[in-house]
Amino acid sequence: MLKQEIENRDLEKDSDLMELSLGPQHPSTHGVLRIKLILKGEIVQQAEPVIGYLHTGVEKECETRTYHQVVTLVDRLDYLSGPAEEQAYIATVEKLMEVEVPERAQTIRLILLELARISSHLLWLGTSALELNMSSIYMYCFAEREKILDIFELISGARMFPGYWRIGGVALDLPVGFEEAVRDFLKKFPRMWKDMDNLLTNNYVWCERLKGVGVITEEDCRQYMLTGPTLRACGDSYDVRKVYPYLNYQDYQFDVPTATLGDSYARYEVRMEEFKQSASIIEQALGKLKPGPFITDNRKVAFPPRKELRRSMEAVIHQFKLVSEGLHPAVGDVYTCVESARGELGYFLVSDGSNKPYRLHVRAPSFAHVQILSKLLVGQTISDMVVTIASLDPILGDVDR
Amino acid sequence: MWIDIIEVLAKGLTLVLVLSGCAAYMTLCERVLMARMQLRLGPNRTGPFGLFQPMADGIKLIFKERFQPAGADTLTYWLAPAIAAFIAFFAFGLIPFGPSFEFMGREINLYIADVNSGILVILAFTSLAVYDVVLAGWSSNNRYSILGSIRGTAQMISYEIPLGLSILSVVLAAGTLNLPGIVEAQAERWFIWTHPIAFIIFVICSFAETNRAPFDLPEAEHELVAGYHTEYGGLKFGMFFMAEYINILLVSAIAITFFLGGWRGPGDLPVVWFAAKLAVFVFFFMWVRATLPRVRYDQLMTFGWKILTPIAIANLIVTAYFVLV
Amino acid sequence: MKLQIGKFMSMLRGLLIVLKYAFKRPVTLRYPEKKRDLPERSKGRHHLTKWADGLERCVGCELCAIVCPSQAIYVKPAENTPDNQVSKGERYAADYQVNMLRCIFCGYCEEACPTGAVVLGNDYELAGYDRQSLIYTKGMLTEEKPGESGFDPNREI
Repeated sequence: MLKQEIENRDLEKDSDLMELSLGPQHPSTHGVLRIKLILKGEIVQQAEPVIGYLHTGVEKECETRTYHQVVTLVDRLDYLSGPAEEQAYIATVEKLMEVEVPERAQTIRLILLELARISSHLLWLGTSALELNMSSIYMYCFAEREKILDIFELISGARMFPGYWRIGGVALDLPVGFEEAVRDFLKKFPRMWKDMDNLLTNNYVWCERLKGVGVITEEDCRQYMLTGPTLRACGDSYDVRKVYPYLNYQDYQFDVPTATLGDSYARYEVRMEEFKQSASIIEQALGKLKPGPFITDNRKVAFPPRKELRRSMEAVIHQFKLVSEGLHPAVGDVYTCVESARGELGYFLVSDGSNKPYRLHVRAPSFAHVQILSKLLVGQTISDMVVTIASLDPILGDVDR
Repeated sequence: MWIDIIEVLAKGLTLVLVLSGCAAYMTLCERVLMARMQLRLGPNRTGPFGLFQPMADGIKLIFKERFQPAGADTLTYWLAPAIAAFIAFFAFGLIPFGPSFEFMGREINLYIADVNSGILVILAFTSLAVYDVVLAGWSSNNRYSILGSIRGTAQMISYEIPLGLSILSVVLAAGTLNLPGIVEAQAERWFIWTHPIAFIIFVICSFAETNRAPFDLPEAEHELVAGYHTEYGGLKFGMFFMAEYINILLVSAIAITFFLGGWRGPGDLPVVWFAAKLAVFVFFFMWVRATLPRVRYDQLMTFGWKILTPIAIANLIVTAYFVLV
Repeated sequence: MKLQIGKFMSMLRGLLIVLKYAFKRPVTLRYPEKKRDLPERSKGRHHLTKWADGLERCVGCELCAIVCPSQAIYVKPAENTPDNQVSKGERYAADYQVNMLRCIFCGYCEEACPTGAVVLGNDYELAGYDRQSLIYTKGMLTEEKPGESGFDPNREI
C-alpha cells in the first residue's frame, strides 16, 4: 500500500519523506550494494536494492574460456568461499562427462569445503559484529580466518582463490603438514568459538539488537528462493548436503541446525551451530583420508602426472592436447548444486560439444537474499536495516556475477 | 589586579596546552590499546613506539584542503566545530586539580574559576554541547548528517536529566554547589561509597553525553557513515575529534571530582592522584568501546527515560531522606 | 529479572574476555621488517629456470600462453641454431613476457609447461610506478645462474 502512496506524492513538497541513497560506498553494505531508501524520520518506508556495481560479466566470460580455465574465474564470484564455487562448477563438468573422482580427492575436497564454510561464517560473524561497533570481535574472527587461509595457501599456494579443483580430482596431492595444520586448527577453534559465544550469545545489547529484527517466514523463503542458514532459521531443515548428497556427504554424521523464529538472532544461532558441525565433519573426514590417487587416471580428462612428461611421448601428446584443445563434453545440459556457506549454490551448464561452455549460469544464493530486502526492510529503522543485511550475509560478487 | 589577570591567563594557557596535548595523546593511547585488545600492533611507524603519531595526524589535518559542501550554510558550517572545541575547553576551567599552594608569596589555586554554583555552570556548558551537533548536522546539507544530529540532540538532552539527577544527590550530601567545596566534603569518605547508584548512573550517562560507544549513535559509523560530521574534513574535523576526547576527559574529571574524592589520595601528591584517576577512567572508556555493541535509538531512549531517570529520581529521594534524617 | 541480571553480567564478562586478548601475542607483523614464512607452494612472481648446464628449459612451445586464463603471457619462439643453442629442444623463447597486472597467479602456466621452465616463485612484493615496469620481460624472468630462483636445476620437470 505504501509504495503506491509514495509514488503519488511529490517528494520535493512532502517534507515528511526523505530519500536516502545508501551505498554503494557505505561502510556496512557488504561491498557495493546500493539501497534506495525512502525514509520517514528514520523509519524505512520503501527500499529498493540496486545491484550491478560489481558486475564483472564472469558468466559471459566463461563462454570464452576452456572448461579447464573456467575454474579460476568462478572462484572469484563468491569470493569468501571459493572452494564451494569450484566444487559446484567442476561437479557439472564431471557429471556431463561422467568422470569418476577418486575417493581421496573427494575427501580432500570435502575438507576444503567445510574449511571454507567456517572461514566464510567467521567473516560473517566478524562483519555482523562490526556492524554493531564490536571491532574486537571483527579482528578475532579475521585472526582465526587467517589460519584457514594459511591452510589453503599450504595446499594450493593461493589464499582466497585456491584454484585447486581439477576435472576428475584435485591439482596436487596434499602437502606434508596438512593434517597437522588442520588438526591444530580444530584443536584451537573451539576455544575461540567459546569466547565468541560468551561475548555475544548472552550479551544483553546483542540479543536486543538481533531478536525480532528482519523476520522472514518460511513462506517468504519459498517465494524468494532463500536457502541456507536463512531458510534453516525458519525451521526448514533443507540442506543440499543431506537432500542431494555430493562428495559422499551421506557417509558423515552431522546435524542440520535449525531455529524457528526466522529473525536475525535465529540466523545467528544457526550459523554458530554450523561452525561446530563443520568442525566435526572435518574431524571425521581426516579419519577417512587414505592414501591413493588424487586425480583420475583418465588421460582424456586430467593432465598426465608430471614425472611421466620426461619419459613418455604419449604423456606429452596428452598434455599438449589437453592444454591447447581442452576437452569436449557431450552435448547436453546439467545442473548441480552444493551447499555453500550462504545457501544452495547451483551451476547450470549447457554444452554444445565444443571445448568451451555454451552457457554457464550460476544460481547464486546471495542474489536471492538481496531480492527480499525490498520487502524486509520496510518499517525498520536504519540501525535495524544494517543488522538485517548483515544477517543475510550477501556477497556482492555472487550477486552481480 | 594585573597580577590576577596574568595568573588567570597563565593558568588558562597552560590548561589549553595540556588538554590539547592530552587529547592528542589519548588518540594514540586509544589506538594502541584497541590494537592490543584486538591482536594487532597498532601505530608503530612514526617515531619510537609510534609516539609521534599524534603530531603526524595533526600536521596532516592542518594541511588538508579546506572545502565546504555545496549547499552548506557557510556561517554555521564553520561555527559548529569552533563551538564544540570552545565548550569542551571552557568547562574545564571549573575543575579543581589540586589544593592551593604558595608560589612567590601568592596563594595559587589549581583551578581557574571558583564559581559558587560551579555545578550549574558545568551542567549548562555540557548542555550547550548539543549545539555543535545540531549546527554541524544541519549546516552540512547531508542526509546522514541531519539524521546524526537529530539522534544526537535527542540523546544528549535525554541523558542530561539522569546525569543531573545523579549529581544532585551528591550535592545534597555535600551541601554545596561549589566544586572545591565538594572535594573538601570528601575528605573523609569518597562519595562513590555513599552513592554507588548515582555513580553508576553518572558513568552510563557520561558515555551518552560524550557520544562514545556503546552510545555513539550520532556518529554511528556503520549506519550513518560518520553522522553529524560526515562532511567535515581537515582541521574542522580535527576540532570535533579533539572536542570528543576533551569531553571524555571532562566527564572523567567531573566524575572524579564528584565521586572519587577529586585530587585526594594517600600521600601528598594531589595532581598526580588526579591524573591517575583520570587515566583509569580514560582506559575504561576505551575498554568499553572495544567490547560493547551499539544500542539502537529506541532502546537508548527507553533505557534513558524508563530505566535511568526513575532510578535516578528514586536515588535522589532516598538520599534526600538520609540527609534530612 | 534473574535472566536480565545474568545478561547484564555477561556483558561484564565480555569486558574481561576482551582484556584477556590484550595479553595474547598480536597476529599482525611489522611488515617490511618482518615477513611471513611462506609455504613451498605459495604462488608469487614467475621465474624462467635453466638446466644445470646453463641451457634454458623453455622450448618456446607456448602452452603457457595458451593455458593462461587471463592472457598474461606472451611467447615469441625462435629456432635454435648449432652456433646459438639456447635450449635443449628445437626452439627457444626469443621473447617471453608476463604481464604482472593481468596475471592472477593461478599457476596454470607452471602446470602446463612440459619442461618445467616457467615456475611460480615465492616473491609476492610486486609493485611499480607505471604499467610498463610491470610487464616482466625475458631478461627479468630468466634466472642468471641455474638454481638461482630456488628451484633445483637438476629436477626432471
